[in-house]
Amino acid sequence: MATVETREARQPWILLAPALTAVALLLLVPLAFIAVYSFWLRTATGADIAGFHTDNWAEALSDPFYRDILLGTLRIAAITTLVCALAGYPAAYFIARSKANRAILLLLLMLPFWVSYIIRTMSWINILGVSGAFNSALLAMGVIGQPIQMLYNEATVILGLVHFLLPFMVLNVYVSLEGIDETLEQAANSLGATRWQAFREVTLPLSLPGLAAGGLLCFVLAAGTYITPLVLGGPTDAMFANLVFEAIITQLDWPLGSALSLMLLAILGALVALYNHFVGMSQIARGFG
Amino acid sequence: MDHTRRYERLRERYLNGGLDRRSFLGLIGAAGLAYGVRTPFAGHALAAAGEVRFDGWGGVVSEAFRKHAFDPYTAKTGVTVIDGTFGGGDEYLSRVKAGQPGEYNIAHLSGVFDYARYHDLGLSSELNRANIPNLDYVIPKLVTVLSDYSGGALSAVPYDYGTTGIAYNRKHISDDEAKAKGASLLIDETRKGKIGGWADWRTRIWMAALQTGQDPNNATDMDAVWDAIRKHRDLALKYWGSGAELMSLLAEEEIYVTEGWSGRIYALQEQGHDIGYVDPPNGYGWQECLFVIKGSPMAECEELLNFMLDPATSIAVAEGQNYPPALDPQKVDLGAKIPTLPAFDPTGTLSGLTFANPAYWNGNEQEWSKTFGRVQKGY
Amino acid sequence: MSGWALIRIWTVVVYLFMFLPVAVVVLLSFNASQFGAFPMTGLSLRWFGELWANEAILRAFRVSFLLGALTAAISTTLGVLAALALVRYDFRGKNLVSTVLIAPILVPEVVLAVALLLFLRFLQMPKSFALLLLGHVIFTLPFVVLVVQARLVGIRRDVEEAALSLGASPRQTFFAVTLPLLAPAIFAGMLFAFTISFDDITGTLFWKPGGVETVPTQIFAMLRNSISPEINALGTVMIVLTVGLPLLGAAIARRLGARTR
Repeated sequence: MATVETREARQPWILLAPALTAVALLLLVPLAFIAVYSFWLRTATGADIAGFHTDNWAEALSDPFYRDILLGTLRIAAITTLVCALAGYPAAYFIARSKANRAILLLLLMLPFWVSYIIRTMSWINILGVSGAFNSALLAMGVIGQPIQMLYNEATVILGLVHFLLPFMVLNVYVSLEGIDETLEQAANSLGATRWQAFREVTLPLSLPGLAAGGLLCFVLAAGTYITPLVLGGPTDAMFANLVFEAIITQLDWPLGSALSLMLLAILGALVALYNHFVGMSQIARGFG
Repeated sequence: MDHTRRYERLRERYLNGGLDRRSFLGLIGAAGLAYGVRTPFAGHALAAAGEVRFDGWGGVVSEAFRKHAFDPYTAKTGVTVIDGTFGGGDEYLSRVKAGQPGEYNIAHLSGVFDYARYHDLGLSSELNRANIPNLDYVIPKLVTVLSDYSGGALSAVPYDYGTTGIAYNRKHISDDEAKAKGASLLIDETRKGKIGGWADWRTRIWMAALQTGQDPNNATDMDAVWDAIRKHRDLALKYWGSGAELMSLLAEEEIYVTEGWSGRIYALQEQGHDIGYVDPPNGYGWQECLFVIKGSPMAECEELLNFMLDPATSIAVAEGQNYPPALDPQKVDLGAKIPTLPAFDPTGTLSGLTFANPAYWNGNEQEWSKTFGRVQKGY
Repeated sequence: MSGWALIRIWTVVVYLFMFLPVAVVVLLSFNASQFGAFPMTGLSLRWFGELWANEAILRAFRVSFLLGALTAAISTTLGVLAALALVRYDFRGKNLVSTVLIAPILVPEVVLAVALLLFLRFLQMPKSFALLLLGHVIFTLPFVVLVVQARLVGIRRDVEEAALSLGASPRQTFFAVTLPLLAPAIFAGMLFAFTISFDDITGTLFWKPGGVETVPTQIFAMLRNSISPEINALGTVMIVLTVGLPLLGAAIARRLGARTR
């Protein structure tokens, strides 16, 4: 009996071993290097001095410049996630419930990924730009006399992010909706619930893990982006990852860049902990139901 | 055991019934995986002798290099050239810094300040000029600017040069106005929302020095410079980050004026866009060089550099990227197109161009690049 | 009934939004001139011709494809196993483990890229295609774990228990019951891993060995000079290959099916 139990206890770790080994070797150990690096100092010539200096951390934590941009980044990521959820959920529901065209709809959803991300992002310039599709169409119809300036502000950054992240949301929600037994909704209907009630009481709660996973993905990816604000943002629409990128690539200040990225990592990590907490709760709740 | 033989043997065992179909296919799959991962790239993984790594900007430039320099070089010496690309000088330096000695060999770097940065980071090597006879064709001023910085030794050969001047849409801004206003056109309030600029701290500070009437290589009033940069930021629609963005912003009339790279503006004009280009007094001149990084096989690199400086190669590359070659027009016939390129100096003295003083710029790099990072974002 | 109609309309709007940039890319791949997008000046197949002649992009395409396929295979395998452990077992430190598995997408990619390089330099290992592959596996793994996990939670345990109680071995149950139920999630995970790998730029720039270019790094290197509509042409070709052919196949299958019936 004892051997069965130990085997039972060992099993998850056997399943986890390959993935955990990969993450440990390729992520955690390198991150430890970065953590050490964040206590080094950068000199004027560009060489780094080893040692234990808290200067980078003091700067990253106390300077309002970093705090403001971090807050701005979290705000943009939150708006993006919300828009993705609102736009994506009904679409995912439609895909999950339309039997015949499901495969094709899913295939089509991934279609924009086949055009390189940079080109996809830049193509918004051809749509919203002064000589873009919208302005040309409006001019031709005589609705406007002068092209409207639509590009290069926070709204276009969010637009670009939503376009990039929407498939992540839809797929996650779809996957969880698809796993819900449709007869549950029908059962609720037959018990006198309206379709809306059945959806709200049965389907929606069951699909929450998918929505949470999609939301987490959208938020995290939006908060870590730097190409979209570069291409679609105006001069002042920078996000936190731009700061990290600039510190590491443009200023070659790896120690400060390390501190900044660990800061972003800590905040996003806290978010994941929250997610784990709540998804864990819902699983327990289901166990009771 | 080579893969074909291994496959043959597996197939034999399968046909003889030694393996069931499933494991046969599995093994083939695994072998294919191993083949896919290893063989085509194994050569690149180990930078063995008989190989030189060259990193450049890609596109037309590297095609010209491949055709006129790399292939003939390999045919003659048996040494292969691995050509890599980078998207920008800063990103590449980060890669070199994180890389291992000997991993990167020759790089197409920008400006004298890059030469100085690499030298200061201890990444420079020492070329034996006797092995690069084609160096004699090169404009002497371009060479001394480099060797002066590294105390007489030379770690790179100059390759091409250009300017960053003012580019403007001629439908909206006249040539006379552009000539009269120069860099101040970039902070002209009547053009609010139609102004662009490169998101590069050196260029921004240089332009701001011109706007505030200071010497770009020795600005004394930095507060005025930062104010001019802030003013430009508030008037600008967009900071661009690549030649592609620069060209499309101008061509699609999102902006009417920006500073621009001479070769890119020439390309726009070539395509029939009505864009004007003017180098203001003390405009930003720069050169690009082929830098040999410490730890490289020197004899091989020197020979390759000599191939690349060959007038035929240099001219082909120059015509492709629209920047004049570093060859002295007094010594080499540069053909028909090159003399029409912007920034081209027929005298070969380059006395009309102002280059960045590397000690001045690199000495302030840490502080200024950081300050610009903030100013750029609205602070 | 009207609720369903609304959802349908909404879905169409969402798809239109998703396709807008793609449509523009496809349209502009036939544009005669390089800039000045709209109104278009004329139609031309010129960019397709140039694409076909551009050996560098075609080579990059093959590398990207191989890399994406291998990444998808490896990271889906690792991800499915890990997701099974996370959903099916209770053990100590579970939350920590799932956070660790998500961690690769929490780290800004540029940091991950530099960190991994520093580690390699420490180990004195040269860059190789295998490293590039491992790097891609690492940042696609969280996507697979998340997608598969969400789906696994939805699979009711009692179906499997029924199979077990009917005398199936755990292995039989896994292959006959769990795996088919998991198939959509596995497929979605692979699709995710492949497309993300195919589209990655930041990490690839840092990890790729000399002489190896993927489609995005090739495009990135071309951007310095100018945007070439060749890239639009490549996008068009990709879309025809990935969507056109399966659609055509489905249509033919449907027609054949109708005939035999």
